[in-house]
Amino acid sequence: MELGIFTIGDVTTDPTNGTTVSEHQRIKNTVELAKKAEEVGLDVFATGQHHNPPFVAPANPPILLANIAAQTQTLRLSTATTLITTTDPVRIAEDYSYAQHLSEGRISLIMGRGNTGPVYPWFGKDIRSGIPLAVENYNLLYRLWRERNLDWEGRFRTPLGGFTVTPWPLDDVPPFVWHGSIRSPEIAEQAAYYGDGFFHNNIFWPTSHTARMVQLYRQRYEYYGHGAARQAIVGLGGQVFMRKNSQDAVREFRPYFDNAPVYGHGPSLEDFSTQTPLTVGSPQQVIERTLSFREWAGDYQRQLFLIDHAGLPQKTVLEQLDLLGEEVIPVLRKEFAKNRPADVPDAPTHESLVARHRAGRDPIPGGGEGSRAHADRLAREAEAETGVNRK
Amino acid sequence: MKILSVTTSLSEDSSTLKLADRILSAAAAAGEEQGWTVETDHVNIRTLTTSLTDMTLTGFRSEELEEAFAKVAEADAIVTVTPVYKVAPVGVHTLFWQLIDDKALAGTPVLIGATGGTPRHSLAADSMLRPVLSYLKGLVVPTSVFAATDDWGSAEGGRSLGGRIRQAAEELVALTVSMRGLAVTEAGHASDAEADHATGAEAGHATGAEAGGFSVTEAGRPGARSRRGVDDEFDPELITPFAQLLQG
Repeated sequence: MELGIFTIGDVTTDPTNGTTVSEHQRIKNTVELAKKAEEVGLDVFATGQHHNPPFVAPANPPILLANIAAQTQTLRLSTATTLITTTDPVRIAEDYSYAQHLSEGRISLIMGRGNTGPVYPWFGKDIRSGIPLAVENYNLLYRLWRERNLDWEGRFRTPLGGFTVTPWPLDDVPPFVWHGSIRSPEIAEQAAYYGDGFFHNNIFWPTSHTARMVQLYRQRYEYYGHGAARQAIVGLGGQVFMRKNSQDAVREFRPYFDNAPVYGHGPSLEDFSTQTPLTVGSPQQVIERTLSFREWAGDYQRQLFLIDHAGLPQKTVLEQLDLLGEEVIPVLRKEFAKNRPADVPDAPTHESLVARHRAGRDPIPGGGEGSRAHADRLAREAEAETGVNRK
Repeated sequence: MKILSVTTSLSEDSSTLKLADRILSAAAAAGEEQGWTVETDHVNIRTLTTSLTDMTLTGFRSEELEEAFAKVAEADAIVTVTPVYKVAPVGVHTLFWQLIDDKALAGTPVLIGATGGTPRHSLAADSMLRPVLSYLKGLVVPTSVFAATDDWGSAEGGRSLGGRIRQAAEELVALTVSMRGLAVTEAGHASDAEADHATGAEAGHATGAEAGGFSVTEAGRPGARSRRGVDDEFDPELITPFAQLLQG
């Protein structure tokens, strides 16, 4: 189980005192946050990718992650998410294999589409093609990291002739990829097809909905023969604010909640806490809520918390990290390990992926021999064959 | 036959609620006259107002809202009644229909009702709500019912309103029956359970062998299947295989 934090890097005015940090300060704060995450014993730091205010810090994740990699030793670094729709797959392939080398394999990616229409044309794309872009671009990225001298032609970018990514992925093994989506079944299907991970941000929607997405991914993962449904690689987000005393947490967090970008001025803190996984309270409450995710998501591999948004002061955010490190993470590690079946894999690491690759056990996209997907394909081909013979 | 009222009653005992009740009982009477067992149910949008604004801002639905949307998807016919403000249906009423899943209303007959202070508001719901419901592929009956203060106040107004209600309710029932593709049996009775049974595995047998009995076919109920279960997109057996997405 990987436990960590993810940030969307928003520059939001602190509603309690009207101060706004500069972009420069926000970026420096984000680096400080990541370093502290390692110090207090978290496994992962993940950053979003955004190109529109108020989300400033994550405009360029590979640069941010490389900088953090240089200042940390063991912290795993991830995106949450990489815009697979509007970022050139060739750029993604080179940036992240470079970051993978610099970080000694501590890089992974979560793919996302981005839901802000006007951003797409800034990068020459169209939001109406969101899903087809995610499908084609990821397929290209997948091949770029695995095929040298690639010849490629598609709908959304100029063709490639004899292209080889530089630098080539570390130890011939690309960074692990998760696919993130809040409500598109196509993306759960995409993750299952490739045998990649599926990540749900688990922030804005009720768990009943998130559970259905996770369930769909797990069933399709099994269908494509990458393992049993319970062995699929699932990641979840979550949002917490903690104080030793839960009333203090609620009192302190309420103005930030009420004015937060995205959901501010909407539902009450109480309603949102009931309807979504948001937990504002004591560390013990956060532990209980987080452990309950396993009841509907199954044993999973990655848990990321959002702790640094909506204008919360850096000092407060660092205190949240202390609480996570001292009181929450050690208990979660112990409890998540209990009753976890031995055949449910841990979160993939560079080392585990290298071992898998060398053993010839890389997932086969679309399902290899012995999978239901493979059997269905053969049956369809046989049916088509019979049709031809009849003619 | 399930007829659902989706009505915005802003006060406890509003004239909008009264109109909805009268339309529902007229529709139930029209259905029963033809030998149907009619069930009626109410959704009052007033109780969902906070959920609707929350959904507008955050994208997620409260359990109450999920339940209301599911009731619409399961209903055989809808009666929707709104108060009119400034020559337009009140915003929360329209918002309900703007937020419901695209498929939830497809193929379902709908009757529009509206209330207002003066007859000058009479076409408000027709000109503003009808396009929304048509967009959702609801089958809006030609007659809609508008009731102004005059209609409640005088005997003449009341008689005329009663006539309009009967007319619209009969249209709703006739359309519902024809949409369900169900002829009433000789016994003069058809229940939903029997209808569902007949569209199942033995549909061919039931329709072919017993001429004069059910005349149900899958094709006779356009939209009826496709709108059932708005969450089918998460069914692993029904999703588009990735290889197909990859081909574009």
